[in-house]
Amino acid sequence: MSSGTNVWLGTSTKQLIQSRTGYRRRKFTNRIMLTVTALFTLAALAILFWIIIYVVIKGLQYLNLDFFIHLPRPLGMPGGGVLNAIEGTIILTILASLFAVIPGILAAYYVAYNPNTPLGIAVRFGTDVLSGVPSIIIGLFCYALIVKYQGHYSALAGSIALAIIMLPTIIRTTEEMIKLVPHSLREGSLALGSPEWKTAVSVSLPAASQGIITGILLGIARASGETAPLLFTALGNDNYEVGKIIKAGLANHKGIFAILGSIVTQPVDSLPLTLWKYAQQPYPERINQSWAAALVLLIFVLSLNIFTRIWVQVRANRMQGK
Amino acid sequence: MIDNMAKQNHIIANRRPPSRWATRLRLAFHYGDRPWNALTISMAVLTILVMLAIGVLLWRESAGSRSAFGLNFLKPTTDASWNPVSGEFQAWPFIYGTLVTSLFSLVLAVPLSLGVAIFLAELCPEWLRLPLGGMFELLAAIPSVIYGLWGIFVFLPKVVDPVGRFLDTTLGNVPVLSLFFHGPIPASGASLLAAAFILSIMITPTITAITRDVFLAIPVSQREASLALGSTRWETIWKVLIPYGLSGILGAVILGLGRALGETMAVTMVVGNSIGGSLSLLRPGYTMSSIIANEFAEAVSPLHTQALIEVGLILFIITLLLNILARLLVWRVGRGNVQGARA
Amino acid sequence: MFTNMETPMTDEKQRAPLTIPIKIAQKTIEPPHVGENKIEFRDYSFYYGKFKALGNISLQIPPNQITAIIGPSGCGKSTLLRSINRMNDLVPNVRTEGQIILSGEDIIGPSADVVDVRRRVGMVFQRPNPFPKSIYDNVAYGPRLYGISHRQGLDEIVYNALRQAALWDEVKDKLRQSAMALSGGQQQRLCIARALAVEPEVILMDEPASALDPVATLKIEELMQTLKESYTIIIVTHNMQQAARVSDFTAFMMIDSPQTRTGVMVEYGPTTQIFTNPKNKQTEDYITGRFG
Repeated sequence: MSSGTNVWLGTSTKQLIQSRTGYRRRKFTNRIMLTVTALFTLAALAILFWIIIYVVIKGLQYLNLDFFIHLPRPLGMPGGGVLNAIEGTIILTILASLFAVIPGILAAYYVAYNPNTPLGIAVRFGTDVLSGVPSIIIGLFCYALIVKYQGHYSALAGSIALAIIMLPTIIRTTEEMIKLVPHSLREGSLALGSPEWKTAVSVSLPAASQGIITGILLGIARASGETAPLLFTALGNDNYEVGKIIKAGLANHKGIFAILGSIVTQPVDSLPLTLWKYAQQPYPERINQSWAAALVLLIFVLSLNIFTRIWVQVRANRMQGK
Repeated sequence: MIDNMAKQNHIIANRRPPSRWATRLRLAFHYGDRPWNALTISMAVLTILVMLAIGVLLWRESAGSRSAFGLNFLKPTTDASWNPVSGEFQAWPFIYGTLVTSLFSLVLAVPLSLGVAIFLAELCPEWLRLPLGGMFELLAAIPSVIYGLWGIFVFLPKVVDPVGRFLDTTLGNVPVLSLFFHGPIPASGASLLAAAFILSIMITPTITAITRDVFLAIPVSQREASLALGSTRWETIWKVLIPYGLSGILGAVILGLGRALGETMAVTMVVGNSIGGSLSLLRPGYTMSSIIANEFAEAVSPLHTQALIEVGLILFIITLLLNILARLLVWRVGRGNVQGARA
Repeated sequence: MFTNMETPMTDEKQRAPLTIPIKIAQKTIEPPHVGENKIEFRDYSFYYGKFKALGNISLQIPPNQITAIIGPSGCGKSTLLRSINRMNDLVPNVRTEGQIILSGEDIIGPSADVVDVRRRVGMVFQRPNPFPKSIYDNVAYGPRLYGISHRQGLDEIVYNALRQAALWDEVKDKLRQSAMALSGGQQQRLCIARALAVEPEVILMDEPASALDPVATLKIEELMQTLKESYTIIIVTHNMQQAARVSDFTAFMMIDSPQTRTGVMVEYGPTTQIFTNPKNKQTEDYITGRFG
């Protein structure tokens, strides 16, 4: 009996299946294409390192202490810095977090436990869509909503824009983290007679807290790098210095809310905004400061990202008992 | 022995019963659940409201411009006017710039992202997967302005300018393509081509991440079936895995396109910001997001402002539609894009 | 396209024994003589990292017979099977010792070509895994890799494969429909047809009917009897009755000790001998159900 060769085919077909040259061509193509994918990966990584290394080298050249401590000085005068931008970035980030974190966590809590209600589906869909809206459009929105209404640019408007940008990240991460909390934890608390809200606040959310903080940090990293939404909400302010505002307020015997108000309702600068403005000016001094600002911004954003990723990995390893 | 046994407490069980009012309050608020639920629900609703509000506000604020120009605002024309002084506004150059830069960036980004995703999902050794994936996410985290800064001073002179000149000499005389590829490219390199290149770098991490997840979600049995038939690894990837995950990959690409369309800062810094009449990629151009970024803060008249907001409205609608399409495609892969087998 | 195949050639053309050698480029392969082993394991060991999963396996598989590999769970039957078509290569950190000989050639040595081995040794998996393509495209997938197009007889190959797998009559009118719409038993037969389309010499079956209902199982078992006339079949099964029903030869495996958990070949021989007169006490214990 034959050993399995299919004699129903023409010889030419058999030869096609068994020809050595056919094999060689296929294996050659295989090798080439797989190498191509590796090369592409290398190319993409090369670009990443190119950017980082260049920013580091150029930025270090022009980074100095004055950069952090002083307000901008007119061209030609040494010792200028971007204190206004640094403080502006901090204020904007704090405010944006305040506006985004609590609503985000609460909304995520609802979605996590009611994923299939119309509202739950709508929110999940909505956050996905919201994360795809160009940030400049969100800036336009905040302009129409707040700046136009108030009649002036302010940190408040800018921070709300940033909050809207942070919101999808926070909701998505928080929702996933809450879902990871074991059912048994929540049910145990409820079975003891604790009401839903208390269970949430003292059991479910703390259990998910590390992950939630991760989401917040990632949101901050994203928001602090944004420029477009600030272009017509926070606008920029060369003389912004929180210390001065507080001193002036105290000197005029204003109450704490008034002082906070004047911190928040002024236009502010931020690091990315300053970067952008300076990069377009034809003065080498300003361009150098752009590079320095880029370095500070890059370090801030990348270290937040790396830190959260490592933290997540360490936690995951610990849970698996590694 | 009995002395050592713990005494049973009856403290909680024998506590003084709460007063009638305390009980009433507690029941009314359902132990605090009602306010809590109201809070979470209202925050959820707020999220949706924000999204709707954006659309509504954009629509309202551009009313003046919309009624003034109608569809003429959008009409493709080589002689578009954008004149804040005289009050004539036509958005076509920006629409063209946005579309051309984004679509062309796909030409570069899709093969690159596909290749990287294949490498990460199929070929990468296990220990390298996480660090490599992490590095790509870092690429996605770099702020747009830094891409722009690096673009202006490094990428444009070193890469875009030579490539642009090369394309000009080669394609600049080819009949149809010369429309899109005749120069000369400006000395600075600022052009639609520059924007397209930078965009392709910026959207690659997005497309790569989703495509890689698509590949990882394909069951191992499909790979086994293909390899057991005597396929090479590449044949398995190209003829089995990619067709299987096609809708997810498509979704990833569309998401990348959406990101490219909306990208503002990096594009503005390298695109040249000029409303020329040329279709060519090698000439400086303008995009929708760039015109808004450049002119909005100093708009000269309410009509000017409204025209810019109308441009924003167009951008919003395009990205919204693309986003919805992409999400639908990606969600479909998650639930399986094939009919389940009957047992 | 298939209208001229109403009276297929199969009825006339019997499966004639091959007496002429087939030329492959410069190499000439003699068909194995009857009695010579199709597959032979020579002192074959397999390691997952440090863990020795298979220990010094020696086994001979005769051609054109159905050989069943039986044994308790976890003894390495599937690992052994997957070694033959080198599917274990997909797992990182594996190591082998010894040889596996297919028709006279070592298939795990450095000179062996994995892609070629996998074509010559087809596999049917425990759960049917058709591609989400049409029925036609599933079967045509293998031949297309070799550049066989419609002009070169692709339709004929698909037809023949589906007939050998006893599926043709059921799907001949819906070749362009998705394979995912078939029932489990039909999908499994489709996977068999898909494997047959590349002209294998051996067919490996890893518990092919365990996910199927009894009627579908019976169809597969009948199919195996037909197929063995042209192919060598090796089947791994948990089901002893199935092994006794279906196979001509049986190989019994066990782990050598609970500490090392290495799979070893205890005994192999003609099925009738193994099931009625096993030489080894462990075999007898397993057959009679004292453990397992």
